[in-house]
Amino acid sequence: MTRLVGWLARGADGIAAALLAAMFVTFLLQIFSRYVLQSPFGWTLELCLILWVWIVFFGCAFVVRDRDHVTFDILYVAAPRRVQRVLALIAAAAIVATMAAALWPTWDYIDFLKIRRTSTVENPLTGDKIRLRTVFSIYAVFMVAVIVRYGWRIISVVRHGPPRDRHEDVQSP
Amino acid sequence: MSLQLAACLLALFTLAGIGAPIGYAIIVAATVYLGAGGMDLALAGEKIIQGLYGSFVLLAVPLFIVAANIMNAGTISDRLLRFCVAVVGRFRGGLGHVNVVASLIFSGMSGSAVADAAGIGKIIIGMMTRDGRYSRGYAAAITAASATIGPIIPPSIPMVLYALVSNTSIGALFLAGIVPGLVMGGVLMAMNAIISTRRGFAMEDAVPLRELPRITGNAFPALLMPLILLYGIYGGVTTPTEAAAVAAFYALVLAAVFYRALSLRSLYDILVDSARSSAAVGLVIGGALILNFIVISENIPAMMSDALTGLEVHPLVFLLGVNVLVLLLGCVLDATTIILVIVPLFIPTCTALGIDLVHFGVLVVVNAMIGLITPPYGVLLFVINAVTGIPLKEIIGEIWGFLAVLIAALAFLILVPGAVLWLPRLFGYPG
Repeated sequence: MTRLVGWLARGADGIAAALLAAMFVTFLLQIFSRYVLQSPFGWTLELCLILWVWIVFFGCAFVVRDRDHVTFDILYVAAPRRVQRVLALIAAAAIVATMAAALWPTWDYIDFLKIRRTSTVENPLTGDKIRLRTVFSIYAVFMVAVIVRYGWRIISVVRHGPPRDRHEDVQSP
Repeated sequence: MSLQLAACLLALFTLAGIGAPIGYAIIVAATVYLGAGGMDLALAGEKIIQGLYGSFVLLAVPLFIVAANIMNAGTISDRLLRFCVAVVGRFRGGLGHVNVVASLIFSGMSGSAVADAAGIGKIIIGMMTRDGRYSRGYAAAITAASATIGPIIPPSIPMVLYALVSNTSIGALFLAGIVPGLVMGGVLMAMNAIISTRRGFAMEDAVPLRELPRITGNAFPALLMPLILLYGIYGGVTTPTEAAAVAAFYALVLAAVFYRALSLRSLYDILVDSARSSAAVGLVIGGALILNFIVISENIPAMMSDALTGLEVHPLVFLLGVNVLVLLLGCVLDATTIILVIVPLFIPTCTALGIDLVHFGVLVVVNAMIGLITPPYGVLLFVINAVTGIPLKEIIGEIWGFLAVLIAALAFLILVPGAVLWLPRLFGYPG
């Protein structure tokens, strides 16, 4: 189980790195096409924006560890262990509850975007423009991943107690 | 204030206060706002996705993080820093001075304080804390303070945003930022000198002056980078965002081909690390976009402008008042929100009072950048906390002195418009 999780985590790292590398190369192609080929490709800008959205939400879902997040932890770190337990549970429960409540309406919105397509980027295999539902579906994946991660955190805090500070990671599922 | 806004703020401050990630706290608070008002819960997600998908300038953030990480791994930053050490390291508190000077050089390459802090800032903090010579909090605090210079010296993303809302010339704004940036660097170095003398911080071994040409030569290709970027942007060759990609590419070529200090393995690690930092920062930016939406849908801008009309005040009193307000708002709001949402309220009044809009723009950008390091909501503090793991408590404990001198510099810029407008006037700005 632990090995499987480790293997999946490394796979996720690889995907995030590939997304970022693709964005970097696309930017260089954009400059190259404009100045060397004298005919800009046109699709590069939109592709970069798609990759940026994916880097943020794929990254937050699978690659960003608890300690990487921007947090304001002065009060949490100063609190006694008993209080930390309550605070960690409140935070995790609030995140799980609101994400779960918003999940279906948000998916409904994303699904609605199947009627819209990218304006310049094409699927290289079919030559079709890509549905925006496909592009933005990563946000739904992100929501589910956050619900699972913080749901797991509730179980872990109940069983093993809260993390002392953010540098002690709760074992992720 | 509506009940739903109150519920939203309560949720935001409670969750952020007890240590939930800020990005998630904002998403939860926004969902509470929508739920309390009986609105579609999907709006939070819609605003965050569309906001990130629609902001081309934001793409500069991950690219500058990549560039900075490559420069770090590929010894480019080392060479630049060695140059800075040779020039200012010999003084008391040397690495503190190096920190400020390096920020001045790097601010000519990037337009984002966040990217500066996440990139070069991380490296200098590593150098300063290496043998326990400086406390972690002091290293992080001076890095946060000097990163505020990044968007003052061109290129500058916040100034582009201001130019959009105020209809002023981007060229004049950029030129107007140079002197204030140097003033800020000056006061920070003075503060560092005072604190270092009092606490007896280390000096670096003085580098003999005859070695200076060799060290400069060694750093020369790296020093060329700001010039390439400025030529790219001012020569109209690249957009500022593309310039970020060019910077990353130039750094890659220098590190891999010229200095031969980069393996494929470390390039992969750089990409994973950069993707991780970019995602964490991107989540917070997305959160700011939802807050922006809430502020606008509560009609707060219109209510404020109504309250302001009809008051007859002296221009200087008005400027001081606005700056105190922006400074206070900077404690709880993010710079992009301030510049895009709050500042436009005051522009009609500025015009009526005869205040120069370029002067006003530089003041609010400097002010909003100071807001990035004011507790409790200071994005730069969070970012440094996120990339180095230094606890916020230690950073905030050391930030006050630097905050004080930056505010003094701001007061100077308010009282002496000539310091801001001298350079653009020299190049023909009519104001």
